[in-house]
Amino acid sequence: MEMLQYTLRKLITGIPLVLGVTLISFVLMVYFGPDKTYDLLGKNPTPEEIAQVRHQLGYDQPFVVRYLDYLRELVTLDFGYSDSSGERVGSILKRTIPVSLAVILPGFILGNLLGVVLALVAAYHRGGWIDKLIMAGSVVGMSVSFLIVIIAFQVIFSSSYGLNWFPVLGWDVYSFWDYLRYVTVPTLASVFVALGYNTRFYRAVIVEEMGRDHVRTARAYGASPAELLFKSILKNSLIPIITRIMFSIPLVVVSGSLLIESYFGIPGVGKVAFDAITTGDQPILKAVVGLTAVLFVVVLIINDILYKVVDPRVSLK
Amino acid sequence: MSQANTGCAVEVAAEEPRARESLWSKALYKFMHDRMGMWSLAVVALYGIIALGVWAGLWGQGWSANDGPMWAPPSSEYWLGTNIIGQDIFQRAIFSTKTAFEVGLVVAVLSTILGGLLGALSGFFSNRWADELILWLMGVLDSIPFYLFVAAIAFALSGFPYAMHVAMVLTFWTATARLVRGEVIKLKNFEFVEAARAIGVPQFTIIFRHILPNTFHILLVQATIVFVGAIKSEVILSFLGLGVKNGVSWGLMIAESTQEVQAGHFSNFITASAFLFVLVMAFNMFSDALQDALDPKKVQ
Repeated sequence: MEMLQYTLRKLITGIPLVLGVTLISFVLMVYFGPDKTYDLLGKNPTPEEIAQVRHQLGYDQPFVVRYLDYLRELVTLDFGYSDSSGERVGSILKRTIPVSLAVILPGFILGNLLGVVLALVAAYHRGGWIDKLIMAGSVVGMSVSFLIVIIAFQVIFSSSYGLNWFPVLGWDVYSFWDYLRYVTVPTLASVFVALGYNTRFYRAVIVEEMGRDHVRTARAYGASPAELLFKSILKNSLIPIITRIMFSIPLVVVSGSLLIESYFGIPGVGKVAFDAITTGDQPILKAVVGLTAVLFVVVLIINDILYKVVDPRVSLK
Repeated sequence: MSQANTGCAVEVAAEEPRARESLWSKALYKFMHDRMGMWSLAVVALYGIIALGVWAGLWGQGWSANDGPMWAPPSSEYWLGTNIIGQDIFQRAIFSTKTAFEVGLVVAVLSTILGGLLGALSGFFSNRWADELILWLMGVLDSIPFYLFVAAIAFALSGFPYAMHVAMVLTFWTATARLVRGEVIKLKNFEFVEAARAIGVPQFTIIFRHILPNTFHILLVQATIVFVGAIKSEVILSFLGLGVKNGVSWGLMIAESTQEVQAGHFSNFITASAFLFVLVMAFNMFSDALQDALDPKKVQ
């Protein structure tokens, strides 16, 4: 009951955030965004035709009406039809979001898991050469641009100048084998880029936890290293680790997939959103940005609830 | 009271001048003895000199001349060869150093100022409406996907060559502001703030003269982190066609090299990547050394 109240309260505090995100992105992307009127008209349009197209696109409505319309669309999850292709926005998203997830998830999961494992190894050998090697590697990983990694990996793994093991571009996935062929190089690239940041962050968290009094006490009472690691250290490090993972979800879904999708020619939601900005396809933009904002708020709330589950001391106020 | 003060100052000055122990003098000492930190600073300084030289017109001026042969191999005339339209790759990489510093400095300075100011206000008035407003703004800016935000700003400010800079400043200040806010909340309960308030120092003087200077170590470290972030983002934004509009940058070089790479000519790609990598790596290490020196509580 207490939990339910807490969740509801959090949901209410999330409303201003969603309003803010939708308002700012509405002003930027829709109000100041590209004008599509003349893309949809033939040559030498009459004033009536122009007025008709503008009405159809909703340009003739006042600002407030258009914004409220947007909010209504967000609540009902009905974003109408794409200006460019005429396809329903809902069906575009239904087609592209699973592709994006399929491309991004393996790299995201592996990047975080390997990050924690490497961080544990480094923290265990703290100050030794293994630690130094891992940390030096992570600074190198942090310093390479994502774009360079993508281009280099494509040359190394998928071109005739390198190993030529995987397809260069595209997404012709009909079986699990196809999936592996297309997803491997993007996954390697995103793991490579994420690993540096993750390892460094997780190591700092774990090292801080290792210095706590209760860990020393447990050690003094003769807890085995494995017991120490999983019961005393890892469990308490979970809060910052969870926070980091949760907060990167919305960003990874849209921003992270954009670069990979546009470079590997994968028809995911990042690419669709980016194309929508450059061509001024407002229904798609509204849907992507609005849903990202909602996702962000949901993540915030789930994160707070997980805090509560992991650490009973966190107050519900 | 002023009489007593002067007397005291004279007495101290008469004594043997002693090195004053402060956060900064200790940090300087620690940094000077950090070998990696000094090396990375030297590399960053070298890049800085290259950038200054370009800015002063000493070198890298032939970056746009396309009078060479296409894809020439490295030679005494074209040190690192030429690109697809016969431009000197080495000159372009050198000129791009200036672009990178421009982007990094503008974004780092502006977002640090913005983050420092708003973070300090938000922390000082914590749990009041000003704080709520700033926190809300930060939450909103953080939840808009970065590349979409930049693309939208680029369109909204269509034709404005610094749209990318504006977008980065608007998104990068929030991290700084959050850190400063936390520190200010801690600082405002200290005795020196209470003392200042007790003798009637105005609120804004307290914030900007007494509290904000005590967060300078955070601002400095954050500025180096933002600098690196800005340079790295520039590369990706330029590749997406949202980046540098006038001149050339490593990002633009990498973007144009994607076609060359498919034809087996790697010089453009490798040159731009190497220039970028070395600078970012050195700056990352410099930033680390700075953090080690300035944060006595940092876990090693």
